[in-house]
Amino acid sequence: MLEPFSLPFVQRGLWEVLLLSGGAGVLGVWIVLRGLAFYAHGVAAATFPGLVLAAGLGFAGPLGALAVALVFALTVGRLAARDDAGDHSTLTAMVLVGALAAGVLLASDVFPRATNVNSLLFGSLLVISERDLVIAGCVSVAVVVASLLLGPRWLAVGFDRTGSRTLGVRAGGPDALLLLLVALVAVSTLSAVGSLLAAAVMVIPAATVRPWITRLRTWQLATVALTALQGVGGLWLSAETNAPPGATIAVLAGAVFAASVLARAVHDRQRTRGSRPRTAALTPAVRGGAR
Amino acid sequence: MTDVLLDLDGVGAGYDETLALRDVSFRAAAGDRIAVLGPNGGGKTTLFRVVLGELTARTGTLRVEGDVAIVPQTERSRLDFPVSAQDVVLMGTIAGRPWWRGPRRADRDAAREALAAVGLADRADATFGELSGGQRQRVLVARALVRRARVLLLDEPYRGLDTTSAGRLDELIAELAGEGRTLLIATHDVGQARAWDQVLCLNGRQVAFGPPATTLTAETLAGTYGGELLRVGHDGELAVVAEHHCG
Repeated sequence: MLEPFSLPFVQRGLWEVLLLSGGAGVLGVWIVLRGLAFYAHGVAAATFPGLVLAAGLGFAGPLGALAVALVFALTVGRLAARDDAGDHSTLTAMVLVGALAAGVLLASDVFPRATNVNSLLFGSLLVISERDLVIAGCVSVAVVVASLLLGPRWLAVGFDRTGSRTLGVRAGGPDALLLLLVALVAVSTLSAVGSLLAAAVMVIPAATVRPWITRLRTWQLATVALTALQGVGGLWLSAETNAPPGATIAVLAGAVFAASVLARAVHDRQRTRGSRPRTAALTPAVRGGAR
Repeated sequence: MTDVLLDLDGVGAGYDETLALRDVSFRAAAGDRIAVLGPNGGGKTTLFRVVLGELTARTGTLRVEGDVAIVPQTERSRLDFPVSAQDVVLMGTIAGRPWWRGPRRADRDAAREALAAVGLADRADATFGELSGGQRQRVLVARALVRRARVLLLDEPYRGLDTTSAGRLDELIAELAGEGRTLLIATHDVGQARAWDQVLCLNGRQVAFGPPATTLTAETLAGTYGGELLRVGHDGELAVVAEHHCG
């Protein structure tokens, strides 16, 4: 059953998902908490033209992706900072469309032979290099450290943006760093899940755990564990079924998310039902007592 | 001699080119509970922002003794956040420490003390969103207290509270004033304002300031809210008809 994990290239894929899960899991919680899910998807998808350019011109893919991701983060983040509510969605949508269109034009008309569009969009977890592992590890460490240091500020600003300003908590710097970290994590996930499926590791696990958790630290730990579990499970499933690993992880994450939402709905319904009979049972006694 | 914590003389402030508030002059002593009455857009928020130092007074002078903290409306907080009452109070300690340092033991002790001061020591670990409206309001007061502020600005603290919670908040406000703090309380409840020490009426400018008995007259309230917004209650008291937001 565990035979696929004896193969070296699968083992590298395994290390990649395990290393990614630290940063993606911890940051995923902040992404969900601060309403940055669409931004996270946008910044990952927008790296596509950078990856095409890198493949076409022959330089490292992560460099091209990082350049575009940083431009995306600075553009959207800077402009959104002028919005008091910090809403990124409209800007994200506009920049995302532009970046994807540019990537498609580059891939089809400028570098048609140099690019493997499928691998750029959906990842290639079975051809992970040592460089990918180093990037995933370094980014995860950076995210965990930043979360420990700036977490209280991210929390205060998200909890009450206006109130935090009056408390003397400045949102500008910490929020810019949060957007930058989202861009970094998006770049680090590209080799595993590509530019279109980054949300499968950056957003969905945190959203899956959310309905069951009432404390931040527990939420982060559970999200890291779930991201790792889904990564390993998806990798194993893809090896067993000969399916693309990035897409398999995404499908698995989506299925677990749906199951979590459904289970929560059933749980809440049962709790509501459970409380009704108690009320009904009390009523006659109260009435009897009143007589 | 009474300790004056807040002294405004001819203060005017605003946004862009226009003044949203002008000619505000009053003194607030330690222990004063001051009701701030005024319609939406009347300048209550502008006044609070000036006192907090977020907005610079364009005219007049302002003198504040000690720190100022605001207690915002609880509706502005995210109730779905995974934070305990203590986590929320600890947010009040962030500005006082370097960005790389998390809360220390002294910060946690101060947060616990502040929660005890508002009567919520036993709810420190409760999730903020699961507390009642009155308890949430008291947690936000504790968040202001942890900053050791001597001047507290409360933005419509009674909004959405039931009678019991409002009664507890009354007691808390009296206690805080008794400890020598100055409290400015934005409200639309004219009846409640009568129970406090001073009333400040704003409508783009200072309409009146003074003890409730001499300030809350039909003329002053008409000048503050406009005559059409007033009605006479069963016992002849005046009340604000329209629902306003602090503005």
